[in-house]
Amino acid sequence: MTLAELQSLLHGRITGMVPGRDDEVREQIVARPPLDALGRVEIYSGMYLHRLVDAVAEDVPHTSRVIGHDAFVELVRAYLHEHPSRSPDIMQAGRHFGAWLRTYQGIRADLPDLALLERARSEVRTALDAPVAKAEELQSLDPEALPGARFLFSPSLRVLRLQHDVRALWDVLEADAGEVPDPVPVPTTVAVWRQELKVFHTGLSEPEARALMVAREGGTLEEICGAFAGEPEPAHAAFKTVLSWFADHWVAAVTSQRA
Amino acid sequence: MVPFLGHGIGLRTKHFPDLLEQGRRADWFEVISENFLNVGGRPRAVLEAVRRDRPVVLHGVSLSVGSVDPLDTGYLRDLRALADAVEPAWVSDHLCWGTFGRHNAHDLLPLPLTEESLTHVVSRVSEVQELLGRRILLENVSSYLTYTSSTLAEWDFLAEVARRADCLILLDVNNVYVSAINHGFDPAEYLRGIPVDRVAQFHLAGHQDLGTHLLDTHDAAVPDPVWALYRDAVRRFGRVSTLVEWDDHIPPLDEVLAEAERARAFEKTVLEESPE
Repeated sequence: MTLAELQSLLHGRITGMVPGRDDEVREQIVARPPLDALGRVEIYSGMYLHRLVDAVAEDVPHTSRVIGHDAFVELVRAYLHEHPSRSPDIMQAGRHFGAWLRTYQGIRADLPDLALLERARSEVRTALDAPVAKAEELQSLDPEALPGARFLFSPSLRVLRLQHDVRALWDVLEADAGEVPDPVPVPTTVAVWRQELKVFHTGLSEPEARALMVAREGGTLEEICGAFAGEPEPAHAAFKTVLSWFADHWVAAVTSQRA
Repeated sequence: MVPFLGHGIGLRTKHFPDLLEQGRRADWFEVISENFLNVGGRPRAVLEAVRRDRPVVLHGVSLSVGSVDPLDTGYLRDLRALADAVEPAWVSDHLCWGTFGRHNAHDLLPLPLTEESLTHVVSRVSEVQELLGRRILLENVSSYLTYTSSTLAEWDFLAEVARRADCLILLDVNNVYVSAINHGFDPAEYLRGIPVDRVAQFHLAGHQDLGTHLLDTHDAAVPDPVWALYRDAVRRFGRVSTLVEWDDHIPPLDEVLAEAERARAFEKTVLEESPE
């Protein structure tokens, strides 16, 4: 058997992607009492699942706690079969878990959204650092350049569109106190960000969610204002919202060109 | 050759607050490379703080140098960028494989000890050293299986890789002991088979006895048989930068530092008995 064939055999067996082929394993692996060849490979198979379950659980600690250990292990086993780890960083192994959970029946309906929120918080915690722009940079622009201002956002800002409002659920689980609330099937847009080294999340109003989407896609301040067209004082609402983005360290830079 | 750094510890998340508040009391720190690739926030802040006043080395777990998969050049680019930023005393990884078909098992799987593997690994180590622009250290792994196709002793394989690829060796004393028990070889023979001038770092760690085999868990204090083998290693290799690994059930920082001090004391005793 070549090196490539041997690695194919063992990798398939250890990861569970290609089970079986017992006779070939027995031919290739030395049986040394008290363990036979299959028992020796089984040590690695057990560690593979255990290690990846731990990694995914570290991403979504509250979700895994609600699901329960044994059920969570089986979920991760099924998840890994569809999403084997492709990254050298084991902490990336769970990056699709929340989205995958949405396809899974038989769990509490809001757990996929809780997992997505937890994963986002995990990503934000270690996202690349960036400069923090100050509101004065916007306010000091030539009035004629102001409508054309565009914003570059911090790499640690995430925006999630969730099918449930899981903020109260997250609060209870994070505090490890209080009664776990029932699922709230209300579509919610949540921003997750880091200020200094601390991670925050908050719900966004519909106009702010629209404005942020426009801004992150490179829209100008004038276009951002359009998201508040239904508000009593659109310009005031837009400016107040944009200033809050600076205050929360979401904005890394402001660029401008005359409108 | 690489510098002698003294007796270090691993940089672990659990100790971040203590390291920031109490200062960096170990001689040096070993950093798991993958935990700091393309990363900001607290991990990066702690790494930079530690690096300002202590030597750091980068220790990878995902190079998969023995895999038949193509080398992950994106990973190596990121690793080089991290090394350029941190300026570690050296970069190390393991003599093993862990990926197949780009699917990462996140494990340190042993290689069949054959001429085919040797040729493959030597070529890959050379390529890695070229891409990183530096010599690397390769660590022997703990193992729970061996191959019927193997024709070389592990220590001969490791020594030959180091010689042909001109790389250095991170000798994990605990791993030698664990594999010796699991496969029934003499750990002293392992040490005798490793060329003195290639060993640039020692690892020490704890393991668990599961009855059927020893498991390399890095979750406990260094046990007496590993300390005994460490003394043998110091006798053979002399003063070598030594690191106590603790990756699971990590105790308070003071306890890990105490293990590093214990290693220093063992080394001192051995060197006083048989000065270089």
